[in-house]
Amino acid sequence: MDILNVASAKPTMSDSLPYIHLDNTSVILPIYNARGRALKAELLRRTVGGNLDSSTDPHIVIVRALDGVTINLEHGDRIALIGRNGSGKTTLLRVLAGIYPPTGGTISIHGRVSALTDMSMGMDMEATGYENVFLRGVVMGLSAAQAESLIPDIEQFTELGEYLCLPVRTYSSGMMLRLAFAISTTVQPEILLLDEMVGAGDSAFIAKARDRIEGLIHKSSIMVLASHDDQLVTRLCTRAIWMDSGRVRAFGPVEEILADYHAAVGS
Amino acid sequence: MLLPLTVVERCMMEPNSYGQLCINDLKSSFVGWRVWYTLALNDVKRRYRRSRLGQFWLTLSMALTIGGLGLVYSVLFKMNVAEYLPYISVTFVFWSIISSGIIESCSAFIESEGLIRHTTIPRATPVFRVQLRSWLITLHNFAIIPAVFLVFQFPVNWNLLWLIPGLALVIVNILWVGYFLAIVSARFRDVPQIVASVMQIVFFITPIMFRPTQLGHNGLVLMLNPFAYLLEIVRDPLLGVTPNALAFVVCAIMAVVGSLLILPFAGRYAPRVVYWL
Repeated sequence: MDILNVASAKPTMSDSLPYIHLDNTSVILPIYNARGRALKAELLRRTVGGNLDSSTDPHIVIVRALDGVTINLEHGDRIALIGRNGSGKTTLLRVLAGIYPPTGGTISIHGRVSALTDMSMGMDMEATGYENVFLRGVVMGLSAAQAESLIPDIEQFTELGEYLCLPVRTYSSGMMLRLAFAISTTVQPEILLLDEMVGAGDSAFIAKARDRIEGLIHKSSIMVLASHDDQLVTRLCTRAIWMDSGRVRAFGPVEEILADYHAAVGS
Repeated sequence: MLLPLTVVERCMMEPNSYGQLCINDLKSSFVGWRVWYTLALNDVKRRYRRSRLGQFWLTLSMALTIGGLGLVYSVLFKMNVAEYLPYISVTFVFWSIISSGIIESCSAFIESEGLIRHTTIPRATPVFRVQLRSWLITLHNFAIIPAVFLVFQFPVNWNLLWLIPGLALVIVNILWVGYFLAIVSARFRDVPQIVASVMQIVFFITPIMFRPTQLGHNGLVLMLNPFAYLLEIVRDPLLGVTPNALAFVVCAIMAVVGSLLILPFAGRYAPRVVYWL
């Protein structure tokens, strides 16, 4: 198995331009059912299992989420990820973010990466809005003072006012989204990974959120956007990767790839 | 505001350098100590947020347990309460540290699922978070020991200094066992329950409520029980007894061998944890 070596360097400006290189990268996910997750069942299977089904283990389904992907992303790239649901777009984003270590092939990532996927993950429901800002800031790798300094921007963007002093569990889903979005987008990354644009919230907030994200996109060095929205993709991206059952089916200028994709899918 | 740099270098490594991989991960975890420190503090705060007695609620309940057990068992064992209560308060407090450190580490990766699936924090960070939290919570119980010692005028002597190396060895041993259990529990979800029931059994065969000498010639159950040694090296210094060299040697060997085994194991399997959550 190839191995990842994740090391967070000192928080200074990176000395070289950011890049992501994937070479024949594969991710093979085991999906376990209840029996496959139990140590007792596993021990029984190994010791008294017999030979009835020794060739394949029926309790583990193997999913090839990414299959031999080779791409090089360099400074200035604005990439769209297109493809059906389940074609490996989100898995690819997680690999690009360094969250999923590839189970085959290699990957090199260099840069300050921010992945805006499942933004509300890692929120502490019992903690207040302010405490969550601080916690998420520290988890991002900021010092205590830096994490505190995020607060004015978030106060101003979320417009949650006094609610920031209340535990997050009392928030409505819209308020929750505002806070999670504000925290996730408060720091400018070099490599920005987006899984669809924000959808929920009231229309005023959506407009505001779009402005904020587009600001991040313009200042980022590399941007990858997984989306089903053709207009958005053509406006923001220059090139596109067409994912199909975990493989890169095509990689090229965004209009061409979109046209091919719609011709193939028949829409 | 600058995000920290993410550098993921590809390395084709031979299986014997899985250990190096784990060491690198541990290093970045130490450099980013603020993450697990902050998360652990927040966990402690959260646990007591809605209770008025706060952190000392657990201490009170443990003090009552120790008081009750001390009164009943000193009669059963025909021992002087003034000697038995200080003994049981020390063993009980340290047992709670060891057992909660081990039981809680089973959930280290499971409860940090959101962080692991969303960020690139080093793998050892959730383990340190759980360990620090468990120590912070159980350390409150330490208050019981001086209180009991004062009430019964129990003497303390310079052997107390052995507590420092004793605690260090206990910490290292809990850390490697905890890291191992955290990985295994992420893969096999029945491990936390198994560990909890095993620790319950160990409680009864470890000299917590009884004294090792009471077993007489049937001491084999203690000789083979690693927890008996771990408990001994932190218990004896507080009781004013010069600690047994054998216990220190056994604990040191466990710490070294365990750490050497956990490095390649964690280097190999810890990166896969994200796929098991």
